[in-house]
Amino acid sequence: MTHAIGALAIAAAACWLAAAGVAVLGAERRPGLGASAVVSGAGGIAAALCGVLLAVHGAGTTIRLGGGPVGAATFHIAPLAAPFILLLGLVAGAIALYGPRYHEPGRGTAVYLAVYNLALLASLAVLAAGNVVTFLVAWESMALLCYLLILRHHERPGVAEGAFLFIALSEIGFLMIVLAFAILATQTGTLDLAGIAARAGRVQAGWRSAAYVLALCGFGFKAGLVPFHIWLPAAHPVAPADGSAFLSGLVIKLGVYGIALFGFTLLPGGPAWWGLVTMGFGAISAVLGILYALMERDLKRFLAFSSIENIGIIVTALGAGMTFIAYGQRAIGVFLLIVALYHTVNHGTYKTLLFLEAGVIEHAAGTRDLDRLGGLIRRLPRTAVICLIGTVAIAALPPLNGFVSEWMLFQGLFQGFRISSHLVGILIVIAGALIALTGGLAINAFARAYGIPFLGMPRSGQAAHASEIRQPVAGPALLAGTCVLLGIGAPLVLTALDRVARATTGLDIRSKLILPQLTVIPAHTDFAGFSPTYLALFLLAITAVPILIFFAGRPRARSRRPPVWDGGILDFKPRMQYTATTHANPVRVTFEPLYRPSVQVERASDDPAGRSGPVHYRFKVTPIFDRYLYQPLIRLVETLANLARPIQSGDVNLYLFYVFVVLLIAYAVYAT
Amino acid sequence: MAFWFYRGVRKGIATTRYPKTVDPWARELPSAPGFHAARLTLPLVDRLVNECPAGALAREDHELVVDLGCCTGCGRCLELGHGAVRPTGEFLLASSDRAALIKRVPIRGEHRMGNAD
Amino acid sequence: MQTEPDPSAELSELSGELRRRALQLFGRSLHIRTVDTGSCAVCESEIRLLAAPHYDLHRLGFFFTPAPRHADLLMVTGPAVRAADNLLLKTYEATPDPKAVIAVGACALGGVYPQDSVMHGAIDRVVPVDVFVPGCPPSPLALLQGLLVAVGRLEERVRTLSLDLDAGSAG
Repeated sequence: MTHAIGALAIAAAACWLAAAGVAVLGAERRPGLGASAVVSGAGGIAAALCGVLLAVHGAGTTIRLGGGPVGAATFHIAPLAAPFILLLGLVAGAIALYGPRYHEPGRGTAVYLAVYNLALLASLAVLAAGNVVTFLVAWESMALLCYLLILRHHERPGVAEGAFLFIALSEIGFLMIVLAFAILATQTGTLDLAGIAARAGRVQAGWRSAAYVLALCGFGFKAGLVPFHIWLPAAHPVAPADGSAFLSGLVIKLGVYGIALFGFTLLPGGPAWWGLVTMGFGAISAVLGILYALMERDLKRFLAFSSIENIGIIVTALGAGMTFIAYGQRAIGVFLLIVALYHTVNHGTYKTLLFLEAGVIEHAAGTRDLDRLGGLIRRLPRTAVICLIGTVAIAALPPLNGFVSEWMLFQGLFQGFRISSHLVGILIVIAGALIALTGGLAINAFARAYGIPFLGMPRSGQAAHASEIRQPVAGPALLAGTCVLLGIGAPLVLTALDRVARATTGLDIRSKLILPQLTVIPAHTDFAGFSPTYLALFLLAITAVPILIFFAGRPRARSRRPPVWDGGILDFKPRMQYTATTHANPVRVTFEPLYRPSVQVERASDDPAGRSGPVHYRFKVTPIFDRYLYQPLIRLVETLANLARPIQSGDVNLYLFYVFVVLLIAYAVYAT
Repeated sequence: MAFWFYRGVRKGIATTRYPKTVDPWARELPSAPGFHAARLTLPLVDRLVNECPAGALAREDHELVVDLGCCTGCGRCLELGHGAVRPTGEFLLASSDRAALIKRVPIRGEHRMGNAD
Repeated sequence: MQTEPDPSAELSELSGELRRRALQLFGRSLHIRTVDTGSCAVCESEIRLLAAPHYDLHRLGFFFTPAPRHADLLMVTGPAVRAADNLLLKTYEATPDPKAVIAVGACALGGVYPQDSVMHGAIDRVVPVDVFVPGCPPSPLALLQGLLVAVGRLEERVRTLSLDLDAGSAG
């Protein structure tokens, strides 16, 4: 079994390397594009299988590659990485199905696809890294390759800024990650990740906390936790649709992987405040993510903020898990780890689906602006159905996978009363309340994100002429099917994740997680439980009730069928509908102190009777993190740089003086 | 369940009565005009037909046609007609037949020269 | 000359008849939907007065409803302005059978406004009308009588009414 896992991982890596080569050589023509996609998809299948086998088997495998002046590249595929590798395979497979119909063959596409496949390879390397150096090299390559991905259409406005923001924040995070690993490596004396985990006890308490906080912030930059998130809404809309899907579906999960790695493998058993801080970051990211999402008119920016929200949920689960373990409630802690991993896979699936469909909408209707779309359910029927499944999943509605994982998260959080410290219990309850607020706002947000573009009447000519011909369907459909299976088959998935958790933390909660009747329970039988499988069957069966009522209650008398009563209106116009902006108005008004909006209203005249002609209303949300956190930091850095500038005056005589001073110092030092 | 409640629910019986005394203003409600046929003359009738703002009056030969449906109760015919036109006090005039609201009054008054009585 | 009416006696008689007819025909309640095709809204005020405590339509089992799908009666006011054609016809179509249309007010019956390019002048030129209630505006008592006539086809008094005050005298 272990051989199979290793072999599959190598096969996936080889496929992606080959796909990159095929893309560079052949993707300027359509057959080459297709061939590259096929190879990439094969790699995806291999990776998905590898992830599944790894989860089921529950033990890792190690591969050493090379040797030489830099040392060997050690890969240790640990069970903790299994859900992420599975997700990587799914995303790669879906994007492989999607790519050929989305991209136009050409030089730019060829380079892009090569970079993309190498990014897949780098992501696999990050997940499989067994050595600090391997991890860091893989991480940085992945970041640089993603930077190139975002720059696909570099001539368009906003792309360069978005990509720059991505790489800048990624580098800051990378610096913190390097420091964290450096602390651990020097304190334990080894560069091997398994070795660090084994010797974690040698690290002193202060250094442990420093390492964890650095890791949390460093990986938080990649994951998109608030306040490290500002690159997400800038970079996701400007990348091509499958690039955004890859970024949001997988790359930000690598940040989560890093936090889980530090919290559960490298530095397990940390003090409770680690978990509370993590949980705090997570809860605030969740709420702020969805609140900013509701103000967005651009579909992809909206999805980017929604990713921030879901990462917040995942990180809340991780943090709460760590807190419960620190207080001795290990079963609940492991349960919450399982929830975090499950939600990672779930979110990866439906967020990738939604980004791919956003790409389809953009190509079909020519615009991403929600206020210019409408009525697409008639023009793009298959897209509408697939998008509906993805929306129902992400809004956490039964019986799909989002519902199961959020239900489990709430059940885990509600058990805060089992912790001996009342303060911590209250904090966990507050986190639960914030996540509940997020859930409600998410339903609002996704009702808006689905209803405005797909339902109603088209709000622009472009939307009225959207066409589904030659639009990709297979990739998103695969992901939709996966969402349904992950939800209905939750008992199976959770069994596998339980093995992952057992391998990671040493505690098996199988009997406390799934009862024989396919029921999921939150680690305590006396608390709550439901069966996702039976719930799905029940919901299907209950749709028969209105059908039966209809057939039984049909009127026997002659009946007349007049048109639907519409209030006597003459004609419906698209402008009478809700727009995305107005749909979110209650939230905007309620949370105005958070948004601090700047509103501009221009009228042609002040005629009180309203005959003044068009009114221009401009509403902008104040970017508080950009303005109050990053701009001051940037100004500080610029000030320091300005202070240091005189050193580099350009005067040769000054430089010679520097040389002289250094020689003096060297002489003085070596003479003693 | 209380007997009166049950009976009321089954039969939909009202529980209050209308006020027993007449409202004082009921006598002053605008009502349909009545005409003294003997005092109607052709010039008078033509004048009334002209002055009616609602188009309720018309003359056909020697008959005054009054469309009760069109009458707004403005009272101009009362003023102009003096003794010839009096309010009837009838205001409950609903009908399922439009034609039943069109009444005819013969003009039997003598023709007097230059007298707008 | 007619004697002065005694409203309270009429009222009791009317309300009793109304109830009985309504119960027979439409069960325990009757729903009324008002349609304004361009009136001056005084007829609407009188109609609204029916639900006020003095006349209290609800105690008789009559209710106003905004949805024509739930209505049994349509009370139409206004001179059938052409711009409201669509509205009136759609409301009429949307009201299920059995239904009755009551044209309320002098405007709705053809008075005051002529038939021209702006309006039809009378409601019965657009939809079939079952009961005509004259008045400007008809007092709530007259409206009640109209409702009764619409519901039960009560013998109407106006058929036998004569405006010839001299009738009966040898003429």
